[in-house]
Amino acid sequence: MVDYQAKKEFLASFLASKEIILGGCLAIILAASFLILPWLLKGDPYQTSLNIFTPPNKEYLLGTNDVGQDILAGLLLGGQNSLKVAVGVGILSTCLAVGFGVLAALVGGRLDTFIMRMIDIILVIPNIFIIILVSAYLKPSLGLEIILISLLTWLGGARVIRAQVLSLKERTHVYAAILFGANLAYIFFRHILPELIPLVLSIFLQGARRAIFMEAALGFLGIVDPNVISWGTMINQSLNFFYLDVWRWWLLPTAGALSLSLISLTLIGRGLEETFISNSERRSKIATDQ
Amino acid sequence: MLQINNYHLSYGKKKVLRGIDLVVNKGETLALVGESGAGKTSLGLSIGGLIGRESEPANQAKVQTQGQIIFQGKDILHLSAEELQELRWSKISFVFQNVSNTLNPVLTIWEQVSEPYSSHHLGTRRQAREQARIMLDKVAFPSAKINHYPHQLSGGELQRALIAMALINKPEVLILDEPTASLDPITRQELVQLLSRITKDCAVLLITHDLSVASALSKRTAVLYKGKILEEGPTDKVLQTPHHPYMRALLRSYPHMHSSKDIQSINLNLKEPAEGCVFFPRCTQALPICQTTAPPVLEFKLTVLSANAKEELDFFGQNGSSKVACHRGGIVPYLVVHRLSKSYGPEFSLREVSFMVFEGETVALVGQSGSGKSTIAKLIMGLEKPDQGNILYEEQKTPFPRSQEFLQKVQLIFQNPYDAVSPRLTIKEIIQEPLLIQKIGTQEEKNAKAIQALADVGLPTEDRFLHSYPSSLSGGELQRVAIARALILEPKLLIADEPTSALDALVQAKIIKLLMGLQEQRGLGMLFITHDIALARKIADRILVIQNGEIVEQGLAWEVTSNPKHPFTKQLLAAASVF
Amino acid sequence: MRKKKIITYLAALGFILILNFLLPRLLPGDPFMAIYGEEAALSLSEAAKEELRAKMNLDKSLIAQFKVYLLTLAKGDLGYSYALNQPVRTVISKVLPWTLLLVGSALILSTLIGLILGIESGWRRGTRADRWILLTVVGLSALPNFLIGILLLLFFAVQLGWFPLGGAVTPYSGFTGTAYLLDVFKHLFLPLLALTLAQVPRSYLLTRASVLGNLSYPYVRTAAAKGLKPLQIRYKHVGRNSLLPISASLGVSVGSALAGSLFIEIVFSYPGMGSLIHQAIAQRDYPLLQGILLVIALTVILANLATDILASKIDPRIRKE
Ligand code: SF4
Repeated sequence: MVDYQAKKEFLASFLASKEIILGGCLAIILAASFLILPWLLKGDPYQTSLNIFTPPNKEYLLGTNDVGQDILAGLLLGGQNSLKVAVGVGILSTCLAVGFGVLAALVGGRLDTFIMRMIDIILVIPNIFIIILVSAYLKPSLGLEIILISLLTWLGGARVIRAQVLSLKERTHVYAAILFGANLAYIFFRHILPELIPLVLSIFLQGARRAIFMEAALGFLGIVDPNVISWGTMINQSLNFFYLDVWRWWLLPTAGALSLSLISLTLIGRGLEETFISNSERRSKIATDQ
Repeated sequence: MLQINNYHLSYGKKKVLRGIDLVVNKGETLALVGESGAGKTSLGLSIGGLIGRESEPANQAKVQTQGQIIFQGKDILHLSAEELQELRWSKISFVFQNVSNTLNPVLTIWEQVSEPYSSHHLGTRRQAREQARIMLDKVAFPSAKINHYPHQLSGGELQRALIAMALINKPEVLILDEPTASLDPITRQELVQLLSRITKDCAVLLITHDLSVASALSKRTAVLYKGKILEEGPTDKVLQTPHHPYMRALLRSYPHMHSSKDIQSINLNLKEPAEGCVFFPRCTQALPICQTTAPPVLEFKLTVLSANAKEELDFFGQNGSSKVACHRGGIVPYLVVHRLSKSYGPEFSLREVSFMVFEGETVALVGQSGSGKSTIAKLIMGLEKPDQGNILYEEQKTPFPRSQEFLQKVQLIFQNPYDAVSPRLTIKEIIQEPLLIQKIGTQEEKNAKAIQALADVGLPTEDRFLHSYPSSLSGGELQRVAIARALILEPKLLIADEPTSALDALVQAKIIKLLMGLQEQRGLGMLFITHDIALARKIADRILVIQNGEIVEQGLAWEVTSNPKHPFTKQLLAAASVF
Repeated sequence: MRKKKIITYLAALGFILILNFLLPRLLPGDPFMAIYGEEAALSLSEAAKEELRAKMNLDKSLIAQFKVYLLTLAKGDLGYSYALNQPVRTVISKVLPWTLLLVGSALILSTLIGLILGIESGWRRGTRADRWILLTVVGLSALPNFLIGILLLLFFAVQLGWFPLGGAVTPYSGFTGTAYLLDVFKHLFLPLLALTLAQVPRSYLLTRASVLGNLSYPYVRTAAAKGLKPLQIRYKHVGRNSLLPISASLGVSVGSALAGSLFIEIVFSYPGMGSLIHQAIAQRDYPLLQGILLVIALTVILANLATDILASKIDPRIRKE
C-alpha cells in the first residue's frame, strides 16, 4: 500500500463496495439531519405542555408524548446524543485498542502476557452486564457513559490489533527492512501502520456501533442520567402506552432512527471487512498462482 | 480407455489448457510432466469433471471448456451431475497430492477410506469398513493407526491412506497427482515401488514435476508447458534425448544422477505468448512463423541419418515413436557429418566418420593428438575437401568452397589465441574484421556490435581497451577476444578446437562458463574438440571418442564416462586426472 | 491450556466479585443505601440498620468487609431483597426456570438455523441466494434485540392479537396438562422468536465464514472426487468442520443470549431474570440486582467451561494424545 498506484487501488476498492457506499450515505444523511434539523425546526424537547398525545400536525411534526413534549425535537436531540456517544466511544476505544494492542505486540514478554490475560479475563463476562451493574449505581451522564463504554469495548479490538501486528512483524519484508538497518519507528510507520488502517477503521466503526447500541440499551433500562434525552429512554417510555396509537409516531420513528443508524454503521463495517479480506486474499492468491 | 481430444480450458480470460490430445490405455501409465503452473493439475481435475463444479459454484460461469474427454464412449464434459457422481471413484479415482487437509481433519482414516465404498452402494457400512481394512493392509498402512485422524499421521502414512482410498472401488482410471511430493527420499522410494506394484490394472495418468518418479513409474511421458503438450513419447527417450527444446531445458535444469554436465537453464522470458507457439518467447531456434501460428504436432523423424542408421535410431528414438509440437519438428540438427573419409597417405586416414550436432547442444569430440580431431574441424569448415562423404548444415548440403552464409553461421575458435589474432591490429579492428569482410553494417553499427560482443564475453568496452594491441593482453583475455570475434556474426554453430588447452585451469574455467552461458542464451550448437575427457564430461551433452581416424564410441556424456564400452575409452578414462 | 483457561475463569469470577463489592462501598453517599437498597434504607428501624452494619463489618476496614462478604456468599446467601421481602436466592430461583427455558430453546434454535443457513449460503458463495441471505442477516444483526422484540410485539400481539401481550402463563387460568403446556408455548413463542432472530446472525456469520475457509481446503475436492452427493459433502465434510468454531464459541453465545433475554423479557414482561433486573433497577433493590448479576456471571463462566470441554471432545486436533 506504499506506492501511489496501490493506494489508488485501495481507495477504488473502497468505493467499489456497495455496502460502504450505501452505509456511508446513510450515515452522512443521518448525522447531518441530527445536526442541522434542530436549527431549522426550533422545537424544545424539554418543554412540556398540555397537548399530550397529540398526533402529528403542523406544529408537532411527530406529535407529542405523555407530558406534551415535542417528539421530533426529542428524536433529534437523542440523535445528537447518540452521535456524540458514537464518535466519543469510537475515538477513545480505538485509541485504547491500538495503543494497548501495538504495545503488547511490539514490547512482548511479560507486558504482553499481562495485557492479554487482563483482556481475556474481562471479556469472559459479556460487558453489557458490567455496564448495567455500574450504571445502576452511577446513573451516568453522557460523558461518563462514553468513558464507561469505551473502557469495555476496546478489549476485543486490542486483541485483533495485537494479532495483526504480530503477524506483520513476522513478514519477510519487515525482516528485510531490519536487515537494511531500519529502526523500530521506521518499521512501525512504514511497514506496519499502513497495513493496520483498514483494521483501525473497522475497530472504530465497531466501537461506534456498540456505543449507539449500549446507549440505547441503558436508556431502555432506565439507568442513565434522567436529564439526558436518549432514544432508549424514549422507546422505553413509549412502550408503556402501546395500547394507545401513540406508538405509531412515538415509538416507530425512534426505533427507525436507531435501526438506521446501526444499519448504516454495520453496512460500512461489513463492506470494509469484505474488501479488506478479499484484498489480502487476492494478494495471497497472486503469490501462489505465479 | 481414456481419450482427450483437443481439450481447451480457460478460466475467465486466463487460458489454462490450449488444446490437449492424449490417450491413456488400460494397464498403461502415462506421465504428465511439467513445471508448476503448466496446467497439469487442471487437466487431472478435468478428467474427474472436477473443474469449477462443487467447490466453486459462483465461478462456474467463468470456466469455459472446449473439446472432448471421452471415457467409455461418453464425453465427461457433457455428463450430468448425477452421472458424474456415479462415475467418480467407481471408475475414475484420484490420489491427490498430500498437502495439508487433503483428507478431512475431523474424520478418521478408516471412515474416509471406506466412505466411497458405501456411498457408491457397493456394500453395507460394515462391508465398506472391511474392504477399507483390506486395502489399507495392502498398501502397508500401519493397522494400529486405522482409527487415527489425519493430523496424527506422518506424510508417508497419509500418502498410503490416500492410495488405499483411491483403490477401494477398483477404479479403471487412476489419476496420481504428485503422489510423492513432499516426502523424504527413502519414503518416496518405497511409495514408488508400492505404486508400480498396485496400479497394474488401471489406466494411470501420473501428474508430476519429479522426473525421477515419471521415469520409475511410466512407459510414456507427455510434457506440458503453459497448457500445451510439447512432446510425447517413450519415457526413457523423452528423459534422455528429448526432441523439444523445452524438455531439454527442463532436463538440463534438473539435478539428477544421470548427468555429468552442469545444470543449465533457459532464457527467462516469461512473456505470455499471444498466439503461435507457447514456447516462442524462450525459444532459441524460433522461426518467424512460430510467433503467429501454433505449431502442428509432428511425428518425430530423423530425416538425415548418418552411417549407422540403426544405432542412431535406437539412440535418438525410432521415427514416429514420439510426437513433438514444433514447426521445426523438434530440436534442429544443425550439423550432420555423414560418412566422412579423408586420407593423407598410407599412415593416416579418417574413416567414415558420422555424427550430428543439434541446436543448443555440446558434442565433445575426444581423442589423442593425431587421431584426426582437427582434421574433422578443418573438413567441416571447408578448409579441406573430404575424399568422401557429406557435411550438412541445417539439413542442407554444404557446397565447396563454403558459401558466405555458411561462414557466417558456423565459426571456428582456434586452439592458440596468440596465433589466432594478428598482433598488428587493435582489439577493435580484430573484432570488427568479420563484419568488414562480410560487408555488414555502417561504421556505427560495427562499433555498437563490437562493444556488444566485448560485453558478451566479459571484456572491458572502454576506448582505451578498444584501441590497445593484443600484446598487452593475457592468454585468457586473448581467447575472449577471439570468441568475441567469432560471436560478432551471430553464428549458430561453434567449432571449438581445443579452445582452452593453452590456458591455465582457472582461466579455462572462466572461458568454459562463458561458452556455456552463451549456449544457454542463444542456443549455440557446439562441437568441442578436446583431448581431456574429464573436461568433456563436464561440458558435453554427448561425447564422441575418436581413435586413429575412427569414432569408436559415442553416447551421452555421463554414460560414456561412467560406463565405457570401448577399451580405448577405458584407457582415456584411466589416464584422466583423478587427483 | 486447560489450566490457563480455568485460571482465567476464576479470575473473571473474582473480577465480578470485587466489582460487586467495591461499587456500593466506594461511591459517594451512604453505603448502606447502596448495599441494601432504597427500601431497606427507608423502612428499616435504626436498630435493625445498626445490626446489619455490624454484621457486614461496615465500620471496619475494606479487607474485613470483603471477608464477611465472601463468607456470606460462600454460605449460599445472596442477600435479602427488602423491596420484595424475600431472600434474593428465593426470588431468583423462582424466575430462573423461565429464563433458562427462553434462553435454552433460543440457543438451540438459533444455532441450528444459523448452522444450516450458514452452510447453505457459504456453499453458494457469491450467488444471488447467498447475497440475499447475507444481507438480510447482516441487517438483522444491526437491530438491537429489544427492537426486534418490540416490533414482533406490536405486530403479532398488539395489531393481530395472535399472541398474549406478556407474561409466561395466563394468570389464574387453572390450566393443567396439555392446556397448560399450550399456554406456556403461546406465551413463549414471541419472546423466543425475538431472541432467536437476535441470535441467528452470530451463528450464521460464524458458520458462513468458517464454511468459506473450509471450502478452500483440498479435502472438499477430495470429497467431490469421491463421488459423494453434494449433501454429504456439505454436511458431513464441510459441516463437521464448520461445527467447530460454533461449538467453540458456545460459551460466548450463552452470554450474548442471556444479555438478549434480559431486554426481550422486559419487552414481553416475561417473568425471568431480565424483568427482575428491570424491577430491581426501578426500585433500587441493589441486593437483588447484585445477586442476579452474580448468578448470570456464574452461569456464563460455567457455560464457557462446558464449552471448552465440549470443543475438545468434538475437535480431534484439540484432543491430544
Ligand atoms: S522452433 Fe519449435 S519450439 Fe521453437 S518457437 Fe518454433 S515451434 Fe516453438
